[in-house]
Amino acid sequence: MRRAPGRDVVERLLGGPVLWTGLGALTLFAGAPFLWVFLGSFKTRAELYATPIVYLPQSLSLANYVEAWTSTLTPFSRFFANSLWVSSVTMVATTVVSILAGYALARFKFAGRQTFLLVFLATQMFPAVLLIAPLLSQWYALGLIDTYQALIYSNFSFTVPFTVWMLVGYFESIPRELEESAMIDGCTRFGSLLRIVLPLAAPGVAATAIFAFVASWSELLFAITFTSQTEMRTLSAGLLFMVGQYEIQWGQLSAGVIISTVPVAILFTYLQRHLIQGLSAGAVKG
Amino acid sequence: MAREATLATPVARPLISRRARELAGGYLYLAPVILVLGGTVLFPILKAMHMSLYHHVLIKPKEYGFIGLGNYARLLHDQVFWLSLWNSFVWVFGSVTFQFLGGFAAALLLHQGFRGRAVLRTLTLLPWIIPGVVVALIWEFIYQPNYGLLNDVLIRLGWMTERVAWLSSPALAMPAVIVANIWRGVPFFAIMLLAGLQAIPTELYEAARVDGASVGQRFVYITLPMLRPIIVVATATRIVWTFNYADLIFVMTSGGPANATQITSTYTLMQAYSNLDFGYAATLSVALLLIMLAFTTVYLRLTRGLESVS
Repeated sequence: MRRAPGRDVVERLLGGPVLWTGLGALTLFAGAPFLWVFLGSFKTRAELYATPIVYLPQSLSLANYVEAWTSTLTPFSRFFANSLWVSSVTMVATTVVSILAGYALARFKFAGRQTFLLVFLATQMFPAVLLIAPLLSQWYALGLIDTYQALIYSNFSFTVPFTVWMLVGYFESIPRELEESAMIDGCTRFGSLLRIVLPLAAPGVAATAIFAFVASWSELLFAITFTSQTEMRTLSAGLLFMVGQYEIQWGQLSAGVIISTVPVAILFTYLQRHLIQGLSAGAVKG
Repeated sequence: MAREATLATPVARPLISRRARELAGGYLYLAPVILVLGGTVLFPILKAMHMSLYHHVLIKPKEYGFIGLGNYARLLHDQVFWLSLWNSFVWVFGSVTFQFLGGFAAALLLHQGFRGRAVLRTLTLLPWIIPGVVVALIWEFIYQPNYGLLNDVLIRLGWMTERVAWLSSPALAMPAVIVANIWRGVPFFAIMLLAGLQAIPTELYEAARVDGASVGQRFVYITLPMLRPIIVVATATRIVWTFNYADLIFVMTSGGPANATQITSTYTLMQAYSNLDFGYAATLSVALLLIMLAFTTVYLRLTRGLESVS
């Protein structure tokens, strides 16, 4: 069978020049801003404020990183530790709560199940700014201002609805028969959740856990509202605080940006395969 | 004899039936989530509704008092609020349209087989996962008038002769923050549509090829219809999310200059964070919530409709 020659030309163009131009444009669009800040993080003051612009730093000096990490005014080592602690605790607690809730919604038939699912979906659509004023007065009344708890509890408001929603989908995809046979053999329901369902759903659970971590890591508004002391700031809040200083130190700030990016970038590389599958599964279910 | 009778006694029936235990068990598993979301979402929302009925400015405690719908009356006459709604529309429409187009293009590219695909895919998706402050600062540094990247590149290319203060010009600030938001949001559509593309059976394309369908026809008659459910859901999710999103504008311009980039969510944030006017901030949040609920209702009806079709 012969195809029209014109069509071959179109397909060859699409597979060749068009594809490569597109890939080039995509790389530039996604990569250039990162490259700009990455290079900036190695520049000296003179290089940063030179006219015309100096694109490549003279040396790969880590001075900006050291300064940002050890600065007493904006101690990034402390911000980093705060972010790590808040995000880790949020992640673990979110995962435990969401596994229980997701399992119940996937397996039990009870009144109000649909309502619960709707609430979890609707909660994801609430703006974070809605919660700022009421949560601030709530944490103030409970004496939790400038504590990790206030940040961790507040983070639940956006991590939990999403992870529950995702986990319901994962659990539903695991055949019921496996648990039923385990329970006939004398396993309790909780036991079968631990021994049968969780091992099978492990990739999904890991993906949602990492999501909770990354989302907490990025959180800004709660972090700036519910803490006021420098030593309680997370990385996001610390970066913003740095901008508010007398003069923006772009060198240190760029180093701070890179420090905040690297951990989530590493996690994300692992996460992306699972997240892509989960997102589309959850999304189509809508 | 007595011994045999004992043996014949049926096993004691459980106090509650198996069904009832299942039901109770279901709620038991849900107890933590009810507690957590009750304390961090449900109660605060009710509290916000309550706060919206009070004059409640944190730095003026003496003026605190019940004013009924006073804050809502103020809202209706607040020109900045109406401006912020319009700005929100521009912000959402500009951001989501270009995020979708860029994301679709990126998804089609990343769906092709080429060397280094995994690396490029990670790079493309990265802007979506990094903190909002980081995105804002990266772009602030690019837009910086005197030693920023953008002015330098545009002047070198000969497209501009003078340096432009992107973020402090009332006409340019909104496009500038939208561009930063497009950069952040393209990966979201790319990731969703890529997943959708990967789920389309290749047999469909092969069959169409055999029947002589061109590239364009295959795209219009196979790719687009197959992606439709994901496109609808992803776009709706993104519209809501972008409408609610305050971080980027808050860091880059704080809604300025002269409210040129003030969207409703940043305006709410500024009332609570900068003015400490909790009563009015709560009123604005209730307004935001109502807008979102209206949108969610339409959105759910839309996705339900899709489900019944498929």
